[in-house]
Amino acid sequence: MELAPHDPGSKLLRPDEPELDLYTIPSHSSWFSWDEIHETERIALKEYFDGSSISRTPKTYKEYRDFIVSKYREDPSRKLTFTEVRKSLVGDVSLLHKVFNFLEKWGLINFSANLGVNGGFGIEGEERSKVKVEDGVPNGIRVAAMPNSIKPILPISAPPKAGDAGGGVVNRITLAPLASYSDVFGGLKKEEGLVCGNCGGHCETGHYKYSKGDFLICIKCFENGNYGENKLRDDFKLNEAIEKSGTNGVEWTESETLLLLESVLKHGDDWEFVAQNVQTKTKFDCIAKLIDLPFGELVLGSAYRKGNPSSFSGNLISSERIQLSSSECQDTVETNGQLHEQTDDCKQNGDILDQDPPLKRQRIASLSDASSSLIKQVAAITTMVGPHITSAAAEAAVNALCEETSCSREIFNADDDSIPNGLWSPAKNCETERVHGEDSEMKERPTQSESRHAIFKKDDIPPTLQIRAAIGTALGAAAAHAKLLADQEDRQIEHLMATIIGTQMKKLHSKLKHFEDLELIRKKECAQIEEVEDILVEERMNILQRTFDSGVPRWRDHPSLKS
Amino acid sequence: MKGQASSSYKGAVKFRMPTAQNLVPIRLDLDVDGQKFKDTFTWNPSDPDSEIVVFARRTAKDLKLPPGFITVMASAIQSQIADFRSLEGQDMYPGERIVPIKLDLRVNHTLIRDQFLWDLNNFESDPEEFAKTFCADLGIQDPEVGPAIAFSIREQLYEIAVQSVASARENRISKKGRRGAEYTPVSKAGSTGLDLVKLFGHKSSVVRKRKEWDVYEPIVDLLSSEEVDALQAKEERLTR
Repeated sequence: MELAPHDPGSKLLRPDEPELDLYTIPSHSSWFSWDEIHETERIALKEYFDGSSISRTPKTYKEYRDFIVSKYREDPSRKLTFTEVRKSLVGDVSLLHKVFNFLEKWGLINFSANLGVNGGFGIEGEERSKVKVEDGVPNGIRVAAMPNSIKPILPISAPPKAGDAGGGVVNRITLAPLASYSDVFGGLKKEEGLVCGNCGGHCETGHYKYSKGDFLICIKCFENGNYGENKLRDDFKLNEAIEKSGTNGVEWTESETLLLLESVLKHGDDWEFVAQNVQTKTKFDCIAKLIDLPFGELVLGSAYRKGNPSSFSGNLISSERIQLSSSECQDTVETNGQLHEQTDDCKQNGDILDQDPPLKRQRIASLSDASSSLIKQVAAITTMVGPHITSAAAEAAVNALCEETSCSREIFNADDDSIPNGLWSPAKNCETERVHGEDSEMKERPTQSESRHAIFKKDDIPPTLQIRAAIGTALGAAAAHAKLLADQEDRQIEHLMATIIGTQMKKLHSKLKHFEDLELIRKKECAQIEEVEDILVEERMNILQRTFDSGVPRWRDHPSLKS
Repeated sequence: MKGQASSSYKGAVKFRMPTAQNLVPIRLDLDVDGQKFKDTFTWNPSDPDSEIVVFARRTAKDLKLPPGFITVMASAIQSQIADFRSLEGQDMYPGERIVPIKLDLRVNHTLIRDQFLWDLNNFESDPEEFAKTFCADLGIQDPEVGPAIAFSIREQLYEIAVQSVASARENRISKKGRRGAEYTPVSKAGSTGLDLVKLFGHKSSVVRKRKEWDVYEPIVDLLSSEEVDALQAKEERLTR
């Protein structure tokens, strides 16, 4: 946007102020000048400049243009219409319309009005940008519902929010309730939230989904028996708003979380009881929160252990390792009991699991799965690198945390004091475990649990710190692993480069050889040609010799050639 | 003769609708067994004639008209298309023609009066586009108004084009009679033509005088139901 260069009397005013001697035109129309006709105009409106008609001359065009532009500038905030202009101009309306559209397209007229920069005449501009909503389909047209658009149009035409009535300046675009609306905007609408097809209310807690089409009703309607037309109760499936409350960000206080964990331990997956215990939260919130918690699946895993023990304990072992190597225990006091159970479980499964290579792969594969819990990821990452690296990463992470706040330093230092080698011994343990390998697995277990017990006794490191330390460790380990990978990649690249260069050399060599062969062939052919030449010369000599010998006089040859 | 023809017939065109789309306005006013049917629409003359019967049958079915209408309707359309085709291939007006188009119509509750100029030589003109702009600019909501305006323009253009074919033929004949008269004044080419030299000459401005603005300004009235009924009764009395 720039100021028109042809306004000599313009003062420096804000461009949106409806001042008569200053106008705003788009910068791409800066070619415009009152005094001449620009090339753009000549190209766009050829008929005025080819001299084909008396009614279409550059002069007429300029008059049209100047009139329309100055007419618009009488009041730039208002949208100038073609119908308004044409009554004042003599000439073919079609051509006038073309000129008008040209000027409008380039923003020479109706520019400020289009932008909605309204002075005192805002209402008119608003009216123009508003889409007309028809009351219904025109007479004689019946809109038949398409089978896949059973979703009612009711929510679309739902009354606008109360705020709109007051702020009339807002350019609200309402869409006409056409039958195809749900087809077109169905996907968009879903994002706004689930809306009950019967009562139009939002399905906050959950909804019943109609299995034979895109239709849902809220729980209230379902219980009241309002299923909508031609729909049976059996076709509805309950969809609880689990994912919703998760994203909704229900606020959980520390005490509530603790309460939740306690009750989960007590009641297992009997969520009704859990919710009763927590009191302040609903069943779905509890489930969502537990899933959101970093060790949520761990707890769940113990709950479901009977169902599929091997896969869950696989995760348990890995998470256990990280706990050991980083000298931290992820679980708060409440989950201790749970953990002991797990340890037992691991002892049972330990041998089988560690001898089972596919499981390890499974752990690594879980990395790519973003939904798996944090600790699982940490565990998976740390298993990828050696124990040395893990311990170093843990050390670095704890150090960094210590530097961050003095309170954490105190906590960690307290650990140091109370447990000899508090921070390092588990790492070493882990290391030795790695060194000894599978054979010593059984022997190692007691040491681990011992150290764990030691930690647990003194355990008052807040869970947030633990988690942060774990994250730090994981990041460190991941970085180390990445470094290793990068190094390996480098080596591979070098190797490949060497191979490529070797191949190229081979290629060059073979080419050279080929050229040499060609050279040889050429030389041979040269020699042959020379030989042939010699022979030819000889033959010629022979022939000449013979003619001289036969003694035919030369002069008789010439006339015979001529005739 | 050769030079004369090239100079005086310069700009002469073969007959067609003087608009971008060569659509013929068709007006139906049928009366079968006391039932009346009135309709207006445009038809593309390059469509095959077999379409006409299909169209008639379809219309009768959609509007639940008795089957007697089908043949009547088809023949009415057919004859109007035939009229148009009989003129095709003939020369239209020589030179430039800018004609005033006058609108005076009532569509349901909307009354429209308007006047503007139309260039018959501008084969890029688009009555439908014009009507659309008209309705948008004046805030007319009735969806039937736009097509009615476009049709009215087309009908007038068609009439003028037909007249100009006749006058072009006359010109040719008269010129055969008296050679030498190379220049035929534009005004002679048709009574409705405007004096272009006067309008677009160097001395005059293309901006109209302020007092004329009202004449060329569109007037749109929204009538009440009673007024519509009264007008309808009056129209019916006139047609009898």
